[in-house]
Amino acid sequence: MKPLKIGMVCPYGWDTPGGVQIHIKELAEFLISLGHQVSVFAPVSDEGANTEPWLVSAGRPVSIPYNGAVARVLFGPVASSRVRQWISNGDFDLLHLHEPAIPSLSLLACWAADGPMVGTFHASSAKQKAIYAIGPILEPVLEKLTARIAVSEMARQTLKDHFETEAVVIPNGIATSKYVDETQRPEWKGNPTLGFIGRFDEPRKGLEVLLAALPAVAKIFPELRVLVAGPGDESSVVKKIEPSLRSKITFLGRLSDEEKAQFFQSIDIYVAPNTGGESFGIILTEAMASQTAIMASDIPAFSQLLNAGEFGALFANENSADLANQLILLLNDTERREALRRAGFEQSRKYDWATVAEQILDVYEMVLVGNDKVSLGSENRVWNRIRSND
Amino acid sequence: MTKFILSALVILLILSWYLSFSATRLDRLHHRVETSWEHLDAVLQRRAAIAIDIAHKSDLDPATYMLLVSSAYQAREASISDRSDAESSLSESLRLLQDDSESVSGTISPALSEELTAMTEKIKIAINIHLESVNAVRNLRTKLVFRIFRLAGHAPLPLRYKFEDDVL
Repeated sequence: MKPLKIGMVCPYGWDTPGGVQIHIKELAEFLISLGHQVSVFAPVSDEGANTEPWLVSAGRPVSIPYNGAVARVLFGPVASSRVRQWISNGDFDLLHLHEPAIPSLSLLACWAADGPMVGTFHASSAKQKAIYAIGPILEPVLEKLTARIAVSEMARQTLKDHFETEAVVIPNGIATSKYVDETQRPEWKGNPTLGFIGRFDEPRKGLEVLLAALPAVAKIFPELRVLVAGPGDESSVVKKIEPSLRSKITFLGRLSDEEKAQFFQSIDIYVAPNTGGESFGIILTEAMASQTAIMASDIPAFSQLLNAGEFGALFANENSADLANQLILLLNDTERREALRRAGFEQSRKYDWATVAEQILDVYEMVLVGNDKVSLGSENRVWNRIRSND
Repeated sequence: MTKFILSALVILLILSWYLSFSATRLDRLHHRVETSWEHLDAVLQRRAAIAIDIAHKSDLDPATYMLLVSSAYQAREASISDRSDAESSLSESLRLLQDDSESVSGTISPALSEELTAMTEKIKIAINIHLESVNAVRNLRTKLVFRIFRLAGHAPLPLRYKFEDDVL
Protein backbone atom coordinates (compact mmCIF):
# COMPACT_ATOMS: atom_id res chain seq x y z
CA MET A 1 0.00 0.00 0.00
CA LYS A 2 1.36 3.39 -0.90
CA PRO A 3 1.92 5.83 1.99
CA LEU A 4 -1.26 7.72 2.79
CA LYS A 5 -1.95 11.17 4.16
CA ILE A 6 -4.54 10.55 6.83
CA GLY A 7 -6.45 13.21 8.72
CA MET A 8 -7.89 11.99 12.00
CA VAL A 9 -10.37 13.91 14.12
CA CYS A 10 -10.72 13.41 17.85
CA PRO A 11 -13.99 14.73 19.29
CA TYR A 12 -12.93 14.87 22.94
CA GLY A 13 -10.40 17.08 24.70
CA TRP A 14 -6.96 15.62 24.04
CA ASP A 15 -5.66 16.14 27.57
CA THR A 16 -8.64 14.54 29.31
CA PRO A 17 -7.97 10.83 29.81
CA GLY A 18 -10.34 8.61 27.87
CA GLY A 19 -10.57 5.50 25.75
CA VAL A 20 -11.21 7.30 22.47
CA GLN A 21 -8.18 9.57 22.90
CA ILE A 22 -5.90 6.62 23.70
CA HIS A 23 -7.27 4.70 20.73
CA ILE A 24 -6.54 7.59 18.38
CA LYS A 25 -3.08 8.20 19.80
CA GLU A 26 -2.01 4.58 19.50
CA LEU A 27 -3.56 4.13 16.06
CA ALA A 28 -1.85 7.30 14.82
CA GLU A 29 1.51 6.16 16.20
CA PHE A 30 1.11 2.73 14.67
CA LEU A 31 0.15 4.09 11.25
CA ILE A 32 3.12 6.47 11.35
CA SER A 33 5.41 3.56 12.15
CA LEU A 34 4.12 1.89 8.98
CA GLY A 35 5.18 4.93 6.96
CA HIS A 36 1.88 6.78 6.63
CA GLN A 37 1.45 10.47 7.39
CA VAL A 38 -1.09 11.23 10.07
CA SER A 39 -2.44 14.52 11.34
CA VAL A 40 -4.70 14.42 14.39
CA PHE A 41 -7.08 17.32 14.90
CA ALA A 42 -8.37 17.64 18.45
CA PRO A 43 -9.46 20.13 21.09
CA VAL A 44 -6.51 20.83 23.40
CA SER A 45 -6.77 22.72 26.73
CA ASP A 46 -3.10 23.35 27.29
CA GLU A 47 -1.53 24.08 23.94
CA GLY A 48 1.92 24.64 25.47
CA ALA A 49 2.15 21.05 26.65
CA ASN A 50 1.51 19.69 23.15
CA THR A 51 4.31 17.19 22.61
CA GLU A 52 3.12 15.10 19.70
CA PRO A 53 4.33 16.64 16.42
CA TRP A 54 1.34 15.24 14.53
CA LEU A 55 -1.26 16.86 16.80
CA VAL A 56 -3.07 19.97 15.56
CA SER A 57 -5.01 21.92 18.16
CA ALA A 58 -8.51 23.11 17.38
CA GLY A 59 -8.78 25.28 20.45
CA ARG A 60 -9.93 24.79 24.04
CA PRO A 61 -12.72 22.28 24.63
CA VAL A 62 -15.87 23.19 26.54
CA SER A 63 -17.67 20.87 28.94
CA ILE A 64 -21.17 19.87 27.97
CA PRO A 65 -23.49 17.36 29.58
CA TYR A 66 -23.99 14.55 27.12
CA ASN A 67 -25.52 11.13 27.53
CA GLY A 68 -25.37 11.20 31.32
CA ALA A 69 -21.74 12.26 31.55
CA VAL A 70 -19.75 15.41 31.01
CA ALA A 71 -18.08 15.48 27.63
CA ARG A 72 -15.28 17.89 26.86
CA VAL A 73 -15.83 18.76 23.22
CA LEU A 74 -15.59 21.71 20.88
CA PHE A 75 -17.89 23.13 18.26
CA GLY A 76 -19.25 26.45 17.08
CA PRO A 77 -18.37 28.86 14.28
CA VAL A 78 -14.72 29.33 15.24
CA ALA A 79 -14.12 25.59 15.48
CA SER A 80 -15.97 25.17 12.21
CA SER A 81 -13.69 27.55 10.36
CA ARG A 82 -10.63 25.89 11.91
CA VAL A 83 -11.86 22.51 10.70
CA ARG A 84 -12.20 23.88 7.18
CA GLN A 85 -8.75 25.39 7.36
CA TRP A 86 -7.23 22.13 8.62
CA ILE A 87 -8.90 20.15 5.83
CA SER A 88 -7.87 22.51 3.06
CA ASN A 89 -4.28 22.77 4.33
CA GLY A 90 -3.97 19.05 4.92
CA ASP A 91 -4.37 17.74 1.37
CA PHE A 92 -5.53 14.44 2.86
CA ASP A 93 -6.15 11.18 1.03
CA LEU A 94 -8.81 10.32 3.56
CA LEU A 95 -10.37 11.49 6.81
CA HIS A 96 -10.93 9.20 9.77
CA LEU A 97 -13.56 10.70 12.07
CA HIS A 98 -14.09 9.31 15.55
CA GLU A 99 -17.53 9.37 17.14
CA PRO A 100 -19.05 11.60 14.45
CA ALA A 101 -22.60 11.31 15.80
CA ILE A 102 -22.10 13.60 18.78
CA PRO A 103 -21.97 17.40 18.61
CA SER A 104 -18.24 17.79 18.11
CA LEU A 105 -15.34 18.47 15.78
CA SER A 106 -15.87 15.15 14.04
CA LEU A 107 -19.39 16.11 13.06
CA LEU A 108 -18.17 19.49 11.82
CA ALA A 109 -15.48 17.80 9.75
CA CYS A 110 -18.01 15.38 8.30
CA TRP A 111 -20.22 18.31 7.44
CA ALA A 112 -17.45 20.33 5.81
CA ALA A 113 -15.56 17.69 3.86
CA ASP A 114 -16.20 15.73 0.72
CA GLY A 115 -14.34 12.64 -0.39
CA PRO A 116 -13.16 9.42 1.26
CA MET A 117 -14.20 9.41 4.90
CA VAL A 118 -14.22 6.66 7.53
CA GLY A 119 -16.17 7.02 10.76
CA THR A 120 -15.51 5.00 13.90
CA PHE A 121 -18.33 4.65 16.41
CA HIS A 122 -17.17 3.92 19.93
CA ALA A 123 -20.17 4.47 22.17
CA SER A 124 -23.07 2.20 22.84
CA SER A 125 -26.34 3.23 24.39
CA ALA A 126 -29.99 2.33 24.38
CA LYS A 127 -32.14 4.03 21.78
CA GLN A 128 -32.81 7.60 22.84
CA LYS A 129 -35.96 9.59 22.23
CA ALA A 130 -33.89 12.55 21.08
CA ILE A 131 -32.88 10.62 17.99
CA TYR A 132 -36.29 11.28 16.46
CA ALA A 133 -35.53 14.97 16.62
CA ILE A 134 -31.88 14.96 15.57
CA GLY A 135 -31.95 11.94 13.26
CA PRO A 136 -33.22 13.78 10.16
CA ILE A 137 -30.45 16.35 10.57
CA LEU A 138 -27.66 13.88 11.32
CA GLU A 139 -28.59 11.33 8.68
CA PRO A 140 -27.59 13.37 5.60
CA VAL A 141 -24.30 14.20 7.32
CA LEU A 142 -23.44 10.69 8.42
CA GLU A 143 -24.28 9.19 5.05
CA LYS A 144 -21.31 11.11 3.66
CA LEU A 145 -19.08 8.61 5.47
CA THR A 146 -17.77 6.17 2.92
CA ALA A 147 -17.39 3.44 5.51
CA ARG A 148 -18.37 2.96 9.12
CA ILE A 149 -16.51 1.06 11.79
CA ALA A 150 -18.00 0.02 15.13
CA VAL A 151 -15.61 -1.01 17.90
CA SER A 152 -17.90 -3.70 19.26
CA GLU A 153 -21.08 -5.60 18.57
CA MET A 154 -22.80 -3.24 21.08
CA ALA A 155 -21.64 -0.15 19.22
CA ARG A 156 -22.79 -1.64 15.93
CA GLN A 157 -26.22 -2.33 17.37
CA THR A 158 -26.45 1.23 18.70
CA LEU A 159 -25.65 2.60 15.26
CA LYS A 160 -28.22 0.32 13.70
CA ASP A 161 -30.93 1.35 16.16
CA HIS A 162 -30.24 5.03 15.76
CA PHE A 163 -29.50 5.45 12.07
CA GLU A 164 -30.46 2.19 10.40
CA THR A 165 -27.01 1.82 9.01
CA GLU A 166 -24.55 -1.06 9.03
CA ALA A 167 -20.97 -0.99 10.23
CA VAL A 168 -17.92 -3.21 10.08
CA VAL A 169 -16.89 -4.38 13.54
CA ILE A 170 -13.20 -3.83 14.20
CA PRO A 171 -12.21 -4.02 17.88
CA ASN A 172 -10.13 -1.49 19.77
CA GLY A 173 -6.42 -2.13 19.62
CA ILE A 174 -3.80 -2.38 22.35
CA ALA A 175 -0.03 -2.63 22.25
CA THR A 176 0.24 -6.13 23.69
CA SER A 177 4.03 -5.86 23.91
CA LYS A 178 3.61 -3.28 26.69
CA TYR A 179 2.16 -5.90 28.98
CA VAL A 180 4.71 -8.68 28.73
CA ASP A 181 6.94 -7.05 31.36
CA GLU A 182 7.08 -9.50 34.23
CA THR A 183 8.29 -7.27 37.04
CA GLN A 184 6.14 -7.59 40.12
CA ARG A 185 5.99 -4.93 42.80
CA PRO A 186 6.44 -6.71 46.16
CA GLU A 187 4.98 -3.75 48.07
CA TRP A 188 1.72 -4.32 46.18
CA LYS A 189 1.50 -8.05 46.85
CA GLY A 190 -1.07 -9.47 49.23
CA ASN A 191 -2.20 -13.02 49.69
CA PRO A 192 -4.20 -12.98 47.49
CA THR A 193 -4.36 -9.61 45.66
CA LEU A 194 -7.31 -8.19 43.74
CA GLY A 195 -7.07 -5.25 41.35
CA PHE A 196 -9.42 -2.56 40.06
CA ILE A 197 -8.72 0.24 37.59
CA GLY A 198 -11.05 3.10 36.73
CA ARG A 199 -12.48 6.44 37.76
CA PHE A 200 -13.64 4.87 41.00
CA ASP A 201 -15.97 7.64 42.13
CA GLU A 202 -18.13 7.12 39.05
CA PRO A 203 -20.96 4.78 40.09
CA ARG A 204 -21.07 2.94 36.75
CA LYS A 205 -17.50 1.72 37.26
CA GLY A 206 -18.95 -0.37 40.08
CA LEU A 207 -16.31 -0.07 42.82
CA GLU A 208 -19.13 -0.14 45.39
CA VAL A 209 -20.19 -3.57 44.17
CA LEU A 210 -16.66 -4.81 44.80
CA LEU A 211 -16.44 -3.13 48.22
CA ALA A 212 -19.71 -4.74 49.30
CA ALA A 213 -18.35 -8.16 48.32
CA LEU A 214 -15.12 -7.78 50.29
CA PRO A 215 -16.25 -8.68 53.85
CA ALA A 216 -17.28 -12.16 52.72
CA VAL A 217 -14.06 -12.70 50.78
CA ALA A 218 -11.91 -11.36 53.62
CA LYS A 219 -13.45 -13.87 56.01
CA ILE A 220 -11.90 -16.70 54.02
CA PHE A 221 -8.77 -14.86 52.93
CA PRO A 222 -7.72 -12.71 55.90
CA GLU A 223 -4.55 -11.54 54.14
CA LEU A 224 -6.52 -10.23 51.18
CA ARG A 225 -5.37 -7.03 49.54
CA VAL A 226 -7.20 -4.82 47.07
CA LEU A 227 -5.43 -2.35 44.80
CA VAL A 228 -7.57 0.46 43.45
CA ALA A 229 -5.97 2.45 40.62
CA GLY A 230 -7.32 5.40 38.72
CA PRO A 231 -8.25 9.01 39.34
CA GLY A 232 -10.96 9.98 41.81
CA ASP A 233 -11.71 11.32 45.26
CA GLU A 234 -10.46 8.76 47.82
CA SER A 235 -11.94 10.29 50.96
CA SER A 236 -15.53 9.96 49.76
CA VAL A 237 -14.99 6.27 49.06
CA VAL A 238 -13.02 5.48 52.23
CA LYS A 239 -15.94 6.69 54.36
CA LYS A 240 -18.14 3.96 52.92
CA ILE A 241 -15.69 1.14 53.65
CA GLU A 242 -16.03 -0.90 56.80
CA PRO A 243 -13.27 0.24 59.20
CA SER A 244 -11.84 -3.27 59.57
CA LEU A 245 -11.32 -3.50 55.83
CA ARG A 246 -9.76 -0.09 55.29
CA SER A 247 -6.22 -1.37 55.83
CA LYS A 248 -6.67 -3.94 53.06
CA ILE A 249 -7.43 -1.39 50.39
CA THR A 250 -4.69 0.67 48.77
CA PHE A 251 -5.38 3.59 46.47
CA LEU A 252 -2.67 3.97 43.86
CA GLY A 253 -3.94 6.98 41.91
CA ARG A 254 -3.33 7.15 38.20
CA LEU A 255 -0.79 4.65 36.87
CA SER A 256 1.75 5.19 34.12
CA ASP A 257 1.87 2.62 31.34
CA GLU A 258 4.84 0.91 32.99
CA GLU A 259 3.14 0.86 36.40
CA LYS A 260 0.02 -0.54 34.83
CA ALA A 261 1.93 -3.52 33.43
CA GLN A 262 3.47 -4.13 36.84
CA PHE A 263 0.07 -3.71 38.47
CA PHE A 264 -1.32 -6.54 36.36
CA GLN A 265 1.67 -8.74 37.16
CA SER A 266 1.23 -8.15 40.90
CA ILE A 267 -2.44 -9.08 41.19
CA ASP A 268 -4.11 -12.49 41.19
CA ILE A 269 -7.49 -11.45 39.82
CA TYR A 270 -8.51 -8.32 37.96
CA VAL A 271 -12.05 -7.36 38.98
CA ALA A 272 -14.24 -5.38 36.56
CA PRO A 273 -17.54 -4.74 38.38
CA ASN A 274 -18.79 -2.13 35.86
CA THR A 275 -22.55 -1.84 36.02
CA GLY A 276 -23.16 -0.69 32.45
CA GLY A 277 -22.44 1.99 29.90
CA GLU A 278 -19.40 0.12 28.58
CA SER A 279 -19.14 -0.43 24.86
CA PHE A 280 -15.95 -2.45 24.60
CA GLY A 281 -13.86 -2.96 27.73
CA ILE A 282 -10.31 -2.15 26.62
CA ILE A 283 -9.06 -2.67 30.16
CA LEU A 284 -10.04 -6.33 29.98
CA THR A 285 -7.97 -6.84 26.83
CA GLU A 286 -5.03 -5.28 28.66
CA ALA A 287 -5.51 -7.66 31.59
CA MET A 288 -5.68 -10.54 29.10
CA ALA A 289 -2.48 -9.42 27.39
CA SER A 290 -0.67 -9.41 30.74
CA GLN A 291 -1.90 -12.92 31.52
CA THR A 292 -4.08 -11.87 34.43
CA ALA A 293 -7.20 -13.78 35.40
CA ILE A 294 -10.38 -11.70 35.10
CA MET A 295 -13.60 -11.53 37.11
CA ALA A 296 -16.08 -9.28 35.31
CA SER A 297 -19.75 -8.35 35.59
CA ASP A 298 -21.88 -10.02 32.93
CA ILE A 299 -22.90 -6.81 31.16
CA PRO A 300 -23.26 -7.37 27.36
CA ALA A 301 -19.94 -5.76 26.40
CA PHE A 302 -17.90 -7.87 28.82
CA SER A 303 -19.82 -11.04 28.20
CA GLN A 304 -19.15 -10.57 24.48
CA LEU A 305 -15.47 -9.79 24.94
CA LEU A 306 -14.90 -12.73 27.29
CA ASN A 307 -17.02 -14.98 25.12
CA ALA A 308 -19.46 -15.83 27.93
CA GLY A 309 -16.73 -16.87 30.34
CA GLU A 310 -14.17 -18.54 28.10
CA PHE A 311 -11.49 -15.87 28.53
CA GLY A 312 -12.44 -14.65 31.99
CA ALA A 313 -14.95 -15.42 34.73
CA LEU A 314 -18.28 -13.61 34.98
CA PHE A 315 -20.60 -12.76 37.87
CA ALA A 316 -24.17 -11.44 37.91
CA ASN A 317 -24.10 -7.68 37.36
CA GLU A 318 -24.58 -5.50 40.50
CA ASN A 319 -24.80 -8.62 42.66
CA SER A 320 -22.16 -8.36 45.40
CA ALA A 321 -23.07 -11.69 46.93
CA ASP A 322 -22.48 -13.47 43.63
CA LEU A 323 -19.24 -11.56 43.13
CA ALA A 324 -18.04 -12.69 46.57
CA ASN A 325 -18.94 -16.32 45.82
CA GLN A 326 -17.31 -16.33 42.41
CA LEU A 327 -14.18 -14.66 43.78
CA ILE A 328 -13.82 -17.24 46.54
CA LEU A 329 -14.33 -20.08 44.05
CA LEU A 330 -11.78 -18.68 41.62
CA LEU A 331 -9.23 -17.84 44.32
CA ASN A 332 -9.41 -21.43 45.55
CA ASP A 333 -9.11 -22.91 42.08
CA THR A 334 -5.56 -22.34 40.90
CA GLU A 335 -6.01 -24.61 37.92
CA ARG A 336 -8.99 -22.70 36.55
CA ARG A 337 -7.19 -19.41 37.08
CA GLU A 338 -4.25 -20.74 35.12
CA ALA A 339 -6.55 -21.90 32.31
CA LEU A 340 -8.28 -18.51 32.13
CA ARG A 341 -4.94 -16.72 32.05
CA ARG A 342 -3.73 -18.82 29.16
CA ALA A 343 -6.98 -18.60 27.17
CA GLY A 344 -7.14 -14.85 27.72
CA PHE A 345 -3.56 -14.35 26.62
CA GLU A 346 -4.12 -16.33 23.42
CA GLN A 347 -7.23 -14.27 22.69
CA SER A 348 -5.50 -10.94 23.40
CA ARG A 349 -3.43 -11.27 20.22
CA LYS A 350 -6.60 -10.52 18.29
CA TYR A 351 -6.50 -7.06 19.82
CA ASP A 352 -2.89 -6.25 19.06
CA TRP A 353 -2.45 -3.20 16.86
CA ALA A 354 -0.66 -5.33 14.28
CA THR A 355 -3.94 -7.21 13.69
CA VAL A 356 -6.37 -4.37 14.29
CA ALA A 357 -4.56 -1.77 12.19
CA GLU A 358 -4.37 -4.27 9.34
CA GLN A 359 -8.18 -4.46 9.36
CA ILE A 360 -8.50 -0.69 9.52
CA LEU A 361 -6.11 -0.39 6.56
CA ASP A 362 -8.34 -2.80 4.64
CA VAL A 363 -11.18 -0.35 5.16
CA TYR A 364 -8.95 2.55 4.11
CA GLU A 365 -8.01 0.72 0.94
CA MET A 366 -11.66 0.18 0.21
CA VAL A 367 -12.73 3.80 0.61
CA LEU A 368 -9.84 5.02 -1.54
CA VAL A 369 -11.09 3.27 -4.67
CA GLY A 370 -12.58 6.40 -6.21
CA ASN A 371 -9.14 8.01 -6.16
CA ASP A 372 -10.61 11.32 -5.07
CA LYS A 373 -8.86 13.31 -2.41
CA VAL A 374 -10.55 14.95 0.53
CA SER A 375 -11.81 18.41 -0.35
CA LEU A 376 -14.02 21.04 1.17
CA GLY A 377 -17.60 20.33 0.27
CA SER A 378 -18.77 23.88 -0.21
CA GLU A 379 -18.87 23.49 -3.96
CA ASN A 380 -22.00 21.74 -5.08
CA ARG A 381 -21.06 18.45 -6.68
CA VAL A 382 -23.80 18.40 -9.27
CA TRP A 383 -22.94 21.90 -10.33
CA ASN A 384 -19.27 20.95 -10.63
CA ARG A 385 -20.10 18.03 -12.81
CA ILE A 386 -22.20 20.13 -15.17
CA ARG A 387 -19.44 22.71 -15.32
CA SER A 388 -16.75 20.17 -16.03
CA ASN A 389 -18.83 18.74 -18.84
CA ASP A 390 -18.75 22.06 -20.70
CA MET B 1 -49.72 42.06 -1.64
CA THR B 2 -45.97 42.65 -1.54
CA LYS B 3 -45.95 40.64 1.67
CA PHE B 4 -47.57 37.75 -0.10
CA ILE B 5 -45.15 37.87 -3.02
CA LEU B 6 -42.21 38.14 -0.66
CA SER B 7 -43.22 35.14 1.44
CA ALA B 8 -43.94 33.14 -1.70
CA LEU B 9 -40.47 34.01 -2.94
CA VAL B 10 -38.88 32.95 0.34
CA ILE B 11 -40.73 29.66 0.29
CA LEU B 12 -39.69 29.08 -3.29
CA LEU B 13 -36.10 29.85 -2.39
CA ILE B 14 -36.12 27.44 0.53
CA LEU B 15 -37.75 24.76 -1.58
CA SER B 16 -35.21 25.10 -4.35
CA TRP B 17 -32.36 25.02 -1.85
CA TYR B 18 -33.83 21.89 -0.30
CA LEU B 19 -34.21 20.20 -3.67
CA SER B 20 -30.67 21.02 -4.68
CA PHE B 21 -29.43 19.80 -1.30
CA SER B 22 -31.37 16.54 -1.65
CA ALA B 23 -30.14 16.02 -5.20
CA THR B 24 -26.54 16.49 -4.06
CA ARG B 25 -27.15 14.07 -1.25
CA LEU B 26 -28.49 11.42 -3.59
CA ASP B 27 -25.76 12.02 -6.12
CA ARG B 28 -23.14 11.49 -3.44
CA LEU B 29 -24.77 8.24 -2.41
CA HIS B 30 -24.93 7.00 -5.99
CA HIS B 31 -21.26 7.79 -6.30
CA ARG B 32 -20.60 5.79 -3.14
CA VAL B 33 -22.43 2.77 -4.52
CA GLU B 34 -20.33 2.94 -7.69
CA THR B 35 -17.04 3.05 -5.84
CA SER B 36 -17.97 0.41 -3.28
CA TRP B 37 -19.07 -1.93 -6.07
CA GLU B 38 -15.90 -1.22 -7.99
CA HIS B 39 -13.89 -2.28 -4.96
CA LEU B 40 -15.99 -5.33 -4.20
CA ASP B 41 -15.69 -6.41 -7.81
CA ALA B 42 -11.91 -5.94 -7.68
CA VAL B 43 -11.40 -8.02 -4.55
CA LEU B 44 -13.68 -10.77 -5.88
CA GLN B 45 -11.67 -10.85 -9.11
CA ARG B 46 -8.49 -11.08 -7.12
CA ARG B 47 -9.90 -13.99 -5.17
CA ALA B 48 -10.76 -15.82 -8.38
CA ALA B 49 -7.19 -15.23 -9.55
CA ILE B 50 -5.85 -16.66 -6.31
CA ALA B 51 -8.13 -19.68 -6.70
CA ILE B 52 -6.74 -20.35 -10.18
CA ASP B 53 -3.24 -19.89 -8.83
CA ILE B 54 -3.95 -22.42 -6.10
CA ALA B 55 -5.31 -24.87 -8.65
CA HIS B 56 -2.20 -24.60 -10.80
CA LYS B 57 0.42 -24.61 -8.09
CA SER B 58 -0.93 -27.29 -5.77
CA ASP B 59 -0.82 -31.00 -6.55
CA LEU B 60 -4.58 -31.51 -6.55
CA ASP B 61 -6.41 -34.51 -7.86
CA PRO B 62 -8.02 -33.87 -11.27
CA ALA B 63 -11.58 -33.67 -9.92
CA THR B 64 -10.77 -31.00 -7.36
CA TYR B 65 -8.65 -29.17 -9.90
CA MET B 66 -11.55 -29.08 -12.31
CA LEU B 67 -14.04 -28.00 -9.68
CA LEU B 68 -11.84 -25.16 -8.54
CA VAL B 69 -10.84 -23.89 -11.95
CA SER B 70 -14.32 -24.04 -13.40
CA SER B 71 -15.92 -22.25 -10.46
CA ALA B 72 -13.19 -19.62 -10.56
CA TYR B 73 -13.74 -18.97 -14.26
CA GLN B 74 -17.48 -18.92 -13.78
CA ALA B 75 -17.11 -16.31 -11.06
CA ARG B 76 -14.89 -14.21 -13.29
CA GLU B 77 -17.15 -14.28 -16.26
CA ALA B 78 -20.57 -14.28 -14.61
CA SER B 79 -23.04 -11.64 -15.71
CA ILE B 80 -24.18 -9.28 -13.01
CA SER B 81 -27.35 -11.22 -12.23
CA ASP B 82 -25.51 -14.53 -11.81
CA ARG B 83 -22.61 -13.01 -9.98
CA SER B 84 -23.57 -13.79 -6.39
CA ASP B 85 -24.41 -17.42 -7.19
CA ALA B 86 -21.13 -17.87 -9.01
CA GLU B 87 -19.18 -16.31 -6.15
CA SER B 88 -20.99 -18.50 -3.62
CA SER B 89 -20.06 -21.66 -5.49
CA LEU B 90 -16.44 -20.52 -5.68
CA SER B 91 -16.49 -19.96 -1.92
CA GLU B 92 -17.86 -23.42 -1.46
CA SER B 93 -15.16 -25.05 -3.57
CA LEU B 94 -12.49 -23.12 -1.71
CA ARG B 95 -13.94 -24.12 1.62
CA LEU B 96 -14.00 -27.75 0.54
CA LEU B 97 -10.35 -27.47 -0.34
CA GLN B 98 -9.38 -25.89 2.96
CA ASP B 99 -11.46 -27.82 5.46
CA ASP B 100 -12.16 -31.19 3.99
CA SER B 101 -8.83 -32.97 3.82
CA GLU B 102 -10.51 -36.38 3.66
CA SER B 103 -12.27 -36.12 0.34
CA VAL B 104 -9.69 -33.83 -1.18
CA SER B 105 -6.09 -34.80 -1.62
CA GLY B 106 -3.19 -32.50 -2.23
CA THR B 107 -1.69 -29.59 -0.37
CA ILE B 108 -1.97 -25.85 -0.85
CA SER B 109 1.17 -23.85 -0.38
CA PRO B 110 0.99 -21.94 2.90
CA ALA B 111 1.73 -18.63 1.16
CA LEU B 112 -1.28 -18.98 -1.13
CA SER B 113 -3.51 -20.12 1.68
CA GLU B 114 -2.45 -17.10 3.72
CA GLU B 115 -3.17 -14.83 0.80
CA LEU B 116 -6.59 -16.36 0.48
CA THR B 117 -7.40 -15.80 4.16
CA ALA B 118 -6.34 -12.16 3.92
CA MET B 119 -8.47 -11.73 0.81
CA THR B 120 -11.47 -13.29 2.54
CA GLU B 121 -11.19 -10.66 5.29
CA LYS B 122 -11.13 -7.92 2.67
CA ILE B 123 -14.14 -9.35 0.88
CA LYS B 124 -16.13 -9.45 4.11
CA ILE B 125 -15.48 -5.76 4.71
CA ALA B 126 -16.17 -4.91 1.05
CA ILE B 127 -19.53 -6.71 1.09
CA ASN B 128 -20.57 -5.01 4.30
CA ILE B 129 -19.71 -1.56 2.98
CA HIS B 130 -21.30 -2.14 -0.40
CA LEU B 131 -24.54 -3.46 1.06
CA GLU B 132 -24.68 -0.49 3.37
CA SER B 133 -24.37 2.00 0.53
CA VAL B 134 -26.93 0.16 -1.62
CA ASN B 135 -29.40 0.19 1.26
CA ALA B 136 -28.81 3.87 1.87
CA VAL B 137 -29.64 4.73 -1.76
CA ARG B 138 -32.68 2.50 -1.85
CA ASN B 139 -34.03 3.89 1.42
CA LEU B 140 -33.59 7.45 0.27
CA ARG B 141 -35.17 6.87 -3.11
CA THR B 142 -38.38 5.57 -1.57
CA LYS B 143 -38.91 8.94 0.11
CA LEU B 144 -41.65 11.11 -1.33
CA VAL B 145 -39.61 14.18 -2.29
CA PHE B 146 -37.22 12.04 -4.26
CA ARG B 147 -40.02 10.31 -6.14
CA ILE B 148 -42.14 13.38 -6.89
CA PHE B 149 -39.27 15.47 -8.20
CA ARG B 150 -37.51 12.50 -9.81
CA LEU B 151 -34.27 13.52 -8.16
CA ALA B 152 -32.63 10.26 -9.13
CA GLY B 153 -32.97 11.15 -12.82
CA HIS B 154 -32.21 8.16 -15.02
CA ALA B 155 -29.83 6.47 -12.60
CA PRO B 156 -30.82 2.81 -12.25
CA LEU B 157 -31.85 1.62 -8.82
CA PRO B 158 -28.83 -0.23 -7.40
CA LEU B 159 -29.34 -3.96 -7.04
CA ARG B 160 -29.32 -5.71 -3.74
CA TYR B 161 -27.04 -8.63 -4.37
CA LYS B 162 -27.64 -11.69 -2.36
CA PHE B 163 -24.18 -11.36 -0.86
CA GLU B 164 -24.79 -12.59 2.61
CA ASP B 165 -22.43 -14.25 5.00
CA ASP B 166 -22.92 -17.49 3.13
CA VAL B 167 -20.87 -16.14 0.25
CA LEU B 168 -17.88 -16.71 2.46
